[in-house]
Amino acid sequence: MSAYNVMAMSPFIAGAVAVVAIMLGIAVRRSHRASAAATVAAFALMLACIPVAAGVAPRQVTPLVVIDAYALFWLAIIFGAGMATAILARDYLRVRGGQPEEFYLLLLISCIGAGAMVCSRHFASFYLGLEVMTIPLYGMISYICSGKRGVEAGLKYLILAGAASAFLLFGAALIFSEAGTLDFVGMACATVNYSGSLVVLAGLAMVLVGVGFKLSLAPFHLWTPDVYEGAPAPVTAFMATVSKGAVLAALLRYFSTVSPDTFMSLRTAFSLAAAASMIAGNLLALRQTNVKRILACSSIAHAGYVAVAFLALGDIAAHAVAYYFAAYFAATLGAFGVITLLSANGDLREHDAMEDYRGLFHTRPVLAAVLALMLLSLAGVPLTAGFLGKVYVFMAGIRAGLWWQTGVLVFASAVGLVYYLRIIAVMTATPKDGDHACEVLLPAVSSAAKGLLAALTLAVLWMGIYPAPLLRIIEGIHLSAH
Amino acid sequence: MNLLFVISFVCLAAGMVGGGLVFSFLVAPHRPGAIKNTPYECGEQPIGQAWIQFNVGYYLFGLMFLVFDVEAAFLYPWAVAFRQMGTVGLIEAGLFILVLLVGLAYAWKKGVLEWV
Repeated sequence: MSAYNVMAMSPFIAGAVAVVAIMLGIAVRRSHRASAAATVAAFALMLACIPVAAGVAPRQVTPLVVIDAYALFWLAIIFGAGMATAILARDYLRVRGGQPEEFYLLLLISCIGAGAMVCSRHFASFYLGLEVMTIPLYGMISYICSGKRGVEAGLKYLILAGAASAFLLFGAALIFSEAGTLDFVGMACATVNYSGSLVVLAGLAMVLVGVGFKLSLAPFHLWTPDVYEGAPAPVTAFMATVSKGAVLAALLRYFSTVSPDTFMSLRTAFSLAAAASMIAGNLLALRQTNVKRILACSSIAHAGYVAVAFLALGDIAAHAVAYYFAAYFAATLGAFGVITLLSANGDLREHDAMEDYRGLFHTRPVLAAVLALMLLSLAGVPLTAGFLGKVYVFMAGIRAGLWWQTGVLVFASAVGLVYYLRIIAVMTATPKDGDHACEVLLPAVSSAAKGLLAALTLAVLWMGIYPAPLLRIIEGIHLSAH
Repeated sequence: MNLLFVISFVCLAAGMVGGGLVFSFLVAPHRPGAIKNTPYECGEQPIGQAWIQFNVGYYLFGLMFLVFDVEAAFLYPWAVAFRQMGTVGLIEAGLFILVLLVGLAYAWKKGVLEWV
């Protein structure tokens, strides 16, 4: 009995042991190379523990945690994204000096928190996971504390995320006052039984505010461009992928415990938020001149797209959200990966202004091609992963009868194409003063980062051209069984 | 019915805060003086402004204190239930202390324990 629980929790145990071991290693002798290598190895170990846990899944460990196929799928892509971030961060931090070793501890802890969230079936573990994921992010965002931007972004995120957590907690407390339990199933049943109750409605609205902030859904999206711009590029990649995906995965588990027809008021609110983020994200992106801000606005829009799939609820939603996020993770990590590598050179400047990308196809053709592919995937162009992700979301929306939401999705995607193509157009233009661009854009790309970008490129193409193997895995996931 | 509950809760919360302020304003004698208006610093004479940058060492010491504070808070219940928890409890508490010890070793190595 106990041994099976240990097997089910082995990815977490491996991660926790790795954090303590790496910290001890830093105390004994500082070495950036060793820290980064140990972190990548720790992520590999955590990924290797997932098949072990799958052997005993589905399994409920204590009333707080459930390890099932859904949780394990998310754990795999979260740990994969963590590993990619570690590889990118090494190139980025290496040129910046200081004491980069502790960054990897924060990254590992944040990934463990995100993992705890996707496995949670109780509000206590959900909130614990959320905070364990968010608190290291404050440090990661302002890790480069020599400049003003990082510190400002970190402080902004600290205050706003704190306020969002307060909303989430208060909302849960209000639901608890009617339901008498913090268990997801019990809370969801209470929201059905007391659907007319003002206290429960207020609680649900406050939970929506807290979660909307984390997902950067439309009325709560204003922090996103500022924080994404100020954070180091690998951290932005991590925030745009892991911290969004994990919140939505946990939320989907919560709402999938009851039939979709019961939350009419909540569905309306969520639909409006989704539509507003699709429109606001895409329109905001049109006016930006900073590539990181464009990608931040694009991530607001993507939260809206995936919220449409989320509204379908149940297994359809679980499959669409899982596929969409797998595609989005690969493309976003790839796009921010290119920004990271361009910023990893001697002038210690963040290469995120549109001008830095002028003529990139002439100076760094391979990096430019990778970035172009990732942007096309984010735009949802056929033969890339993003296209099938959109098709999947579209189908989920149609099957659940979400007509106008799906209509907004199609319209917003068309608008979105413009700003992705704008970046690509700038990259193909001839450089203004060729010698200058060549001189600046000469970062030494490590072989690990080269391998990572190659893997992400292959993943985006493979998921776009031959998705059957991934679909087989995803369609084996059933949420409603719990 | 539910609305009544919410309203009465809000009124009660506002009354607790506002009532205390209003009542002390009405009842308390008001005779300020130069010495009375100085901030209370545990009997020390305050020097200068409070809006200055403090030595970062204070915060590091505060963090280290927190580590042991939380450790003590968790070890008391364990000590009370020591016999019932048995060997498993001993191992769990040992792991807990070990993790905190690693944190202490890290801080020591980093020079946090030396006042500069």
